[in-house]
Amino acid sequence: MTSKPDTLSPAGPVRARSRLNGAHIVTSVAAAVLVLLAFLAVFADWVAPYDPLRQSLMEALQGPSAAHWLGTDDLGRDVLSRLIHGCRIAVIAAAEATTIAVLLGVPIGLFIGYRGGVWDWIVMRIVEAVVSIPGIMVAIAIIAILGAGLHRAMIALGILFSTSFLRLARGVVLAEREEVYVRSARVIGASDRRILMRHIFPNIAPPLIVQVTLTVGAVLLAEAGLSFIGLGVQPPQASWGTMLNTAAAFMDFNWFLSVPPGIAIILTVLSVNLLGDVLRDSIGRGIAVETRPETPAARFAAAPGAAEPVVLPRRADEVLRVENLQVMVPAPGGEVPVITDLSFSIARGETLGLVGESGSGKTLTGLAILGLLGAGVRATHGAILLNGQDLRALSPRQIEQVRGNEVAMVFQDPTTSLNPAFTVGSQIAEVLRVKQGLNRAQAWARAVELIDRVGIPRPEERARAYPHELSGGMAQRIAIARALSCNPSLLIADEPTTALDVTVQQEILDLFRDLQAEFGMAILFVTHDLAVAADICDRISVMYAGEMVEMAGVDALFADPRHPYTAGLLHAMPHASDRMPPLPTIRGNVPRPGDWPSGCRFSDRCDFRVAACDARIPLLGRERLVRCIRAGELELEAAS
Amino acid sequence: MLKLIVQRLLALVPLLFIVSVLTFSFTSLLPSDPVDLIIGDAGTQQQYEMVRERLGLNEPVHLRYLQWLGRAVQGDLGSSFFNSVSVMGAVMQRLPVTLSLTAMSALIAILIGVAAGVAAALRPRSWVDRFATLGATFGQAVPNFWFGLILVAIFAVNLRWFPATGFTPLTESPWEWLRSVILPSIALGTSSSAAIARQVRSAMVGVLQQDYIRAARAQGLPFRRVIFRHALTNALVPVVAVLSFQITVLLGGALIVEQVFAINGLGTLAIAAVRQQDIPMLQGLVLVMVGLVVTVQLATDILYGLLNPKARPS
Repeated sequence: MTSKPDTLSPAGPVRARSRLNGAHIVTSVAAAVLVLLAFLAVFADWVAPYDPLRQSLMEALQGPSAAHWLGTDDLGRDVLSRLIHGCRIAVIAAAEATTIAVLLGVPIGLFIGYRGGVWDWIVMRIVEAVVSIPGIMVAIAIIAILGAGLHRAMIALGILFSTSFLRLARGVVLAEREEVYVRSARVIGASDRRILMRHIFPNIAPPLIVQVTLTVGAVLLAEAGLSFIGLGVQPPQASWGTMLNTAAAFMDFNWFLSVPPGIAIILTVLSVNLLGDVLRDSIGRGIAVETRPETPAARFAAAPGAAEPVVLPRRADEVLRVENLQVMVPAPGGEVPVITDLSFSIARGETLGLVGESGSGKTLTGLAILGLLGAGVRATHGAILLNGQDLRALSPRQIEQVRGNEVAMVFQDPTTSLNPAFTVGSQIAEVLRVKQGLNRAQAWARAVELIDRVGIPRPEERARAYPHELSGGMAQRIAIARALSCNPSLLIADEPTTALDVTVQQEILDLFRDLQAEFGMAILFVTHDLAVAADICDRISVMYAGEMVEMAGVDALFADPRHPYTAGLLHAMPHASDRMPPLPTIRGNVPRPGDWPSGCRFSDRCDFRVAACDARIPLLGRERLVRCIRAGELELEAAS
Repeated sequence: MLKLIVQRLLALVPLLFIVSVLTFSFTSLLPSDPVDLIIGDAGTQQQYEMVRERLGLNEPVHLRYLQWLGRAVQGDLGSSFFNSVSVMGAVMQRLPVTLSLTAMSALIAILIGVAAGVAAALRPRSWVDRFATLGATFGQAVPNFWFGLILVAIFAVNLRWFPATGFTPLTESPWEWLRSVILPSIALGTSSSAAIARQVRSAMVGVLQQDYIRAARAQGLPFRRVIFRHALTNALVPVVAVLSFQITVLLGGALIVEQVFAINGLGTLAIAAVRQQDIPMLQGLVLVMVGLVVTVQLATDILYGLLNPKARPS
């Protein structure tokens, strides 16, 4: 508590270590509590200062004193002594009920799980019936038959809790029965009994142990409850539940009586549950997936802030202009950049393709424009000018206004980008009501119009469908209709065709073209698929490891790629005509953020690397931009 | 929707059959002869035969079951062995008391649980989040009746804000009713609220990562609207699925918590019935409770269908 953390070491590991220690301390305390409980239960007669049953009416209902540390009850009995003897009852109760539950539940569960059929059906219906009654009522009903008292109450609880063991054992058997090794054992003629004992039983042990810890906690609480209402342990015997019963009757005279037994119950159950958690974790550890080693955030060399000069020519009908955008993501030991010095512009009615492998930062670019980067991710430099207004400078409320009205986004998977809980029509109408102030009827009518406009037959009817009732292509049309509902000047489309069938892809691309001709919005089309980009885009910007490596008109890029990475991408494109030669791939992978080479980020994978590539490479050109110092000298092969 | 309700109702038939058989066989499971229980030690052989005839114990068991079931369906659960009052009457008289407690504690559990769960999901590792985690851990370890005792000690005995014991019917005085159920309901509902908060939190954390949340925000819908309409509607789906279980737990807990506050509900009735081995009364209690649980299950199933279009049969 008093030791200061070492200020020299980084914050992360220290915190992790102290958390580990914290968990360790809690576990130790829990174990100590249970050891103490067991000790008191065994040696109660020696440890307790008084006879728990010795009455002394002269000393009744006293508060804590030197003679009676926890005071006395209504009959002048020593509370501490009764508490200590209560430990014994608690241990007996937990052991009895849990043992009965296991011995009853596991064999029946094994049997019905293995046999199946009518036995399984009947027993499971009975179990369902029992668990549909509040547990305490089941226990009360069984006690009505057996009679009250510690052992009978524990039999009742044992029967009650056996249902969970029964279901557990049955579940394991049902899962294991069809395993190959069990079936092969059956084939070689092993007896049912042998199969159950040798092959299935070992698989039950781990979940069984966990269930036992859960049951012990529940039994302790239930025993206290039953004793409290007078159906469990009978007076004058000392149990925590009966002590609370006494306390309840004398609340007005000495409310402190209720404190010690309550604390004893809470501490015990808490300890059992916490150890159960630890046990569950350690049993689960065998199958836990090893976490990926964390990336060191070291090698990023480019000085942030030292931005390259903007090379974008200003155009008259510009809708979006992004200048020197830099985006950082949190990493152990600080932040690392995922997008650096990104500049581009899109004009009205123009489609710019943002192409690259996953991890190149193209999706984040779209989200950065919307101001929806997510927790910890932030745009640290640059400007995002939409119709001349810098979106980065806007407050959250202001950018909320811009979203939907001036810029909208269509996502990759239409089935997950529509809310499953609402009809598709209402999701479009909602946007119209919130963003444009239409009333319900107007918004609905407009939504149906839009659904009609994106080429969905029977729009009235489809508007009332839920997303899961539509095909992927139809859902994507709905998503497009919603995005265009407020007639935005910029549409960001993030891989909008990737999740769709090839035949549907073409239809959606046609729809984009068609709608652009009508509405005139600028489109930022994010894709990894060059064939799709070739189909829909006017210009293509190739991204690699968080920066733009080449930008050109579609025809120029395909005919004459200047960057080795672009050429590699073009070669990796599948062609329907000749599938015979295996597709060439670019060797290696995109380096992860934080692992980028300090010079040309593609240099590790490039066939044309020279010494000069280790220096920072600028993006050069006017109409065509390329980030390669050898762009002028290389003879790169165009797409075949 | 109607189809869903009919489906659920049909699924209840085997359950209710099993429950009725189990409940009926109670009489036979009893070690002591019910006739002895009624006529007492001083009964003569003639009285014995008479009572036996009256109870229909001379008829074959399946006939007795059918007769019993037929009467039970009509709301006639027989009369108490002990004082021959109508079981249905006695249960119905106590039912509003226990229902008040269960409903109020469920309300507290759901309101606090959902609010805390959403807050914790929006700000992981914040104080709300830690508090909900801690609350769930303690909630599983603190007996609700003990929590009730502590509440009595603080708010009734020391501060005198609420009555320590007793129950005022809603029809008599709504204000006094509220004052009489508030402490027991807090005692009952708190641990459930922590459990619900944990469930809401984990469901909400999952939903907030979904594309449709990002899409709704990309569409410029206000943050609050996205959280409470788009996210919560979906996050409540798994919570509603386990809600009926929580309410069953609350109903059981109410039986014990009633004793702390000396409230004459079903719990008091059940305890007296056990002590007197009053089988018809216990049968009636079990059946009424199963009826309650089944109703709650049906209600949550319908709510589930309303929240989750995929669950509706097409």
